[in-house]
This record gives sequence, structure tokens and C-alpha cells, in this order.
Amino acid sequence: MQITFDKVSHIYGKGTPFERLALQEISLTIPSGSFVGIIGQTGSGKSTLIQHLNGLLSPSSGRIQLGDVEITSSKRMPHVRRRDIGLVFQYPEHQLFEETVAKDVSFGPLNFDLPVEMVESRTRESLEVVGLDYEAIKDRSPFQLSGGQMRRVAIAGVLAMQPKVLVLDEPTAGLDPAGRKAILEGIYRIHREQGLTTLLVTHSMEEAASYADYLLVMADGKVALQGPPREVFEQVDLLKQLSLDVPETVTLVSRMNQSLPDNEHLPHSLYREEELIDHLLKRLSVPKER
Amino acid sequence: MLQNIAIGQYVPGQSFLHRADPRSKLLFIILFATLVFLANNAITYAVLIAFTLITALLSRLSLSYILKSLKPVWILILFTVVLHIFITKGGTVYYQWGSFTIEEEGVRQAIFISLRLGLLILISSFLTLTTSPIDLTEGLERLLGPFGRVGVPVHEIALMMSIALRFIPTLMEETDKIIKAQTARGANFSSGSLLRRAKNLIPIAIPLFISAFRRAEELALAMEARGYRGGVGRTRLNKLAFSWRDSCVAVAGVVLLFVIGWWRS
Repeated sequence: MQITFDKVSHIYGKGTPFERLALQEISLTIPSGSFVGIIGQTGSGKSTLIQHLNGLLSPSSGRIQLGDVEITSSKRMPHVRRRDIGLVFQYPEHQLFEETVAKDVSFGPLNFDLPVEMVESRTRESLEVVGLDYEAIKDRSPFQLSGGQMRRVAIAGVLAMQPKVLVLDEPTAGLDPAGRKAILEGIYRIHREQGLTTLLVTHSMEEAASYADYLLVMADGKVALQGPPREVFEQVDLLKQLSLDVPETVTLVSRMNQSLPDNEHLPHSLYREEELIDHLLKRLSVPKER
Repeated sequence: MLQNIAIGQYVPGQSFLHRADPRSKLLFIILFATLVFLANNAITYAVLIAFTLITALLSRLSLSYILKSLKPVWILILFTVVLHIFITKGGTVYYQWGSFTIEEEGVRQAIFISLRLGLLILISSFLTLTTSPIDLTEGLERLLGPFGRVGVPVHEIALMMSIALRFIPTLMEETDKIIKAQTARGANFSSGSLLRRAKNLIPIAIPLFISAFRRAEELALAMEARGYRGGVGRTRLNKLAFSWRDSCVAVAGVVLLFVIGWWRS
């Protein structure tokens, strides 16, 4: 599903002393099927931006096009269409409430009046996508699980609606490295398998570099930079100005290039860890005979 | 979504009203509330209204924002007006329709009672609008101080109050977030029968309770970790001190007391 923002602004608390401009005339287009990384400091407008995708917030001015649905300040999102956009909030485990894991995961699909058998199969599927064993976990209380497991159950609850667009607000915050990787890999897998359009809000340049094929850098309610990761990571100075960092792989490549002769420079497109390792190994194994 | 509930919330500022001591503001409100109930004719009400307007100017807040604090009680005021107009009898009959009559006394009472309600709410909203919760509870703690000698846990009460006040916006934010998260999962809070709507609250209430308990536990731990052990021997970072502003408040109180006492019939 293609997503278009046309000069979207959002003002919180309009008409009170607490008025705050959170988004300023944002225009952007996210093609269907892309994996977008949204980066930016706290307070840069990331969360406000993604809440517009689901009609939870309406723009103060401007226009949003979600597939064939249009949202403006006066035109709200139809309830049934919310199903198309799965929004995983920060710390989604805080929204768990049911007695059992299976019941909680099926909350979403049941709200959209899907037949019961279908809900059950979807619940099973989505729990397995996030790496949990359906039979073992379905009857347990979500509150007895570990933090990482709770997070996965909550994400499964959104996946069970089978959205066409998946939006995740820092899904790995506060998890250990193994948990991070498991969740991101799971998300990446269904992104590819189901042809989702995925938006990942993150603080970590590494995460953005590993999965995203397009990056949005937000600052002060505006899009400061956007483009394929390779192009964005070339703007080292601008990123530093925004108190953001480039991934360590990018730093490594530029440091190595400094000491390599011009004709042997490593390409800047090597910002993904695996690709860089492969490339370096290949170079090392080529005998230098010239 | 819930932003309009935060009406009456502290608005930081440097006006006369902001900088007056919370104790004098609290005492003044008690006096003012008494005077509002003593006022019983046009002149005394006019004096009180004029005084409230002056206070509004002194707070340097926008008038429309202040008036918004009346929003939650609008219905209550309207209800009182209607009730008094139709039920209180006496004096000239203005209008008659069958057994329904609108009489002089009813109109009079309706106006006065609604003014009373409005004035009380306005003047107390000035307190919360211009006093930070910390100052407010400290003011209370100091005012209630003498009761501590007879075994009232004044410090604990004040602490509970300030924690409660401190967490209102946090819990509000949390509620907003949970509502949004469940809405994103397709929960619909604004339609269906009453029973269904009540049921719809469960997905909000349970996460909210859980997070409130978690927060309380974390806060208690954090306070203990930083050496909190109750009010005994605890000192203050910012001591409250009376200034010329508080003398003004006191003078205004005394003047108001005499004016109302003199003119009331």
C-alpha cells in the first residue's frame, strides 16, 4: 500500500498555552513494499508521524493518502480500514490485558468481526512468526511471561490482524541483543514473505542499516533527510549536527578508505554488516599477485 | 484525545498571582468562598465579580483559557438555573402557563446561585492555574503543620497529595497511549450499547492498573534508594517566604471582608 503525505502539519493542544507544533508541512511518499527506517532524536516528531498513519491523529492541515483512503483534518479514517495498518506502539507489552495469550492475540481480529476459525489460525500463525510456540504458550497468562516474550505476544497481536502496512515504534527498546535480533528478523521475514510495507522507528542506526531500504531522518518536526541508506549515510556531517551517528560499518569503511589507495577503495554501499564481512573476506582471500 | 481534561492545569508564569505565596492563596480562597456565601444582593455580587476579574488580569492568563475551566461544570450550573427558575416561588409572577410559573424569587435565586458556583470555581481554578503542584502541597503541609502535633500525619498526607498530583498527567498520557494502542487493534470505544461500552473499558482499565502499580512500586524503590525515610528531619530546597505580594493579598482579603459585610442586606 502506497503512503503519501502532502504538506502534513500537526499541532498539539491548539488554542491552549501548551500549543506545540509537532509536524511541519511534511511531504513524503513511501512506495508499496518498501522497508522504511525512521530515525530521529526524541521529540523530533517520529511518534506523531506514525500515529497519523492509522488515523489516531488527524493532520491539522495537509493531506494523507493511504492506498485509496484519504485523510485530512476534516476527513477521518474509517474504522474498518484501521485493520490495514498494524501499529505497534512503544512498549507494546503495556497494552496486554487478557487472561490468556491466545485471547489477547485474537483481540484485534475479533474486533474486525472475522470468523472464529480464521481468528484461531491467524493467532497460531502470528505467534509462530514472532518465534513463540503456540501450543505451549496459548493458555498462559501474558503477565507471567518474561519481558521479551510479552513484547512478542503484543507484536503478534498486531500481526494477527494481517495488516498490509506494519508500523513499529522502537520494537526493540529495552531488550537484550538476542531478543532484538529475534524480533527484527521475524519482522523482516514476514515483511518479505507477505509483501508488507514496513515502517520501523528506531534510535539505532545499526538496526536501520541492517533492514531498511529507505531512510527518513526526522528533526524538529521536519524530514531532515530522506533517501536510500547509502545516500543518507554519506551525509555524516549533517547527521552529526542532528546528534545522530552513522552505523559503525560506515565509519569502518571510511576509516579503511583513508589508508587504502584510491583504486582499492571499499564501496560506500557496504553498510550492512554481513555484506561488508563477505566483501572483506573475499578481498583477503584474493592472492595479491599484481 | 484527553487533552481537554487537563483544564485547570498549572501554567508556568511570573505574574503577581504566580509569585504570591501558596499559603496566602489558600487562605484567601477559604475567605473568598465564605464571602461568596455571605453575598446576597446585587452590590455584593458585583464587588465579587469585579474582584474576580481583577484577579484574572493579575494572573496574566488569557481570559478564554480561564473560562474553559468552567466547561466541566457548565451543565451543573445550567441545571441549577433551570431548577431554581421553575421551583423557587415568591414575588412577582413573570410568566404563567398552566400550573407552571416563573416568579421573581426564582429568577433571583437562579442568577445568584449560578454566580456563586461560577465564582467559586473560577477563584479556585486560579489557584491551580498559577501554583505548581509542589508549591501547593508545600503550602498545605505548612498550613496543616500545627495538626501534626496532635498526631495527624501531615507530611505523609502532603506527600501522597503531591505524588497523586504529579501522576495525573503521567497516567493521563498513559491512558491516551493505551486507548490509541487498543484503537489501533480495532477496539471501538464510541459505539454500541451501554453494556458493550462498559465492557470496552476493560482493555484500557487493566493495562492502566498494571502500569500504575508498577510505577508505584518503582517510585517507592527509587525513593528508598535515595534515602527517603519520612518527614522527620527533612529540609527544604526552596523555603516558602511571604513577600509584599502576600501583604497585598491580606489587605485585599480584609477590605473585601469589610465591603461585603457592610453592603450585604
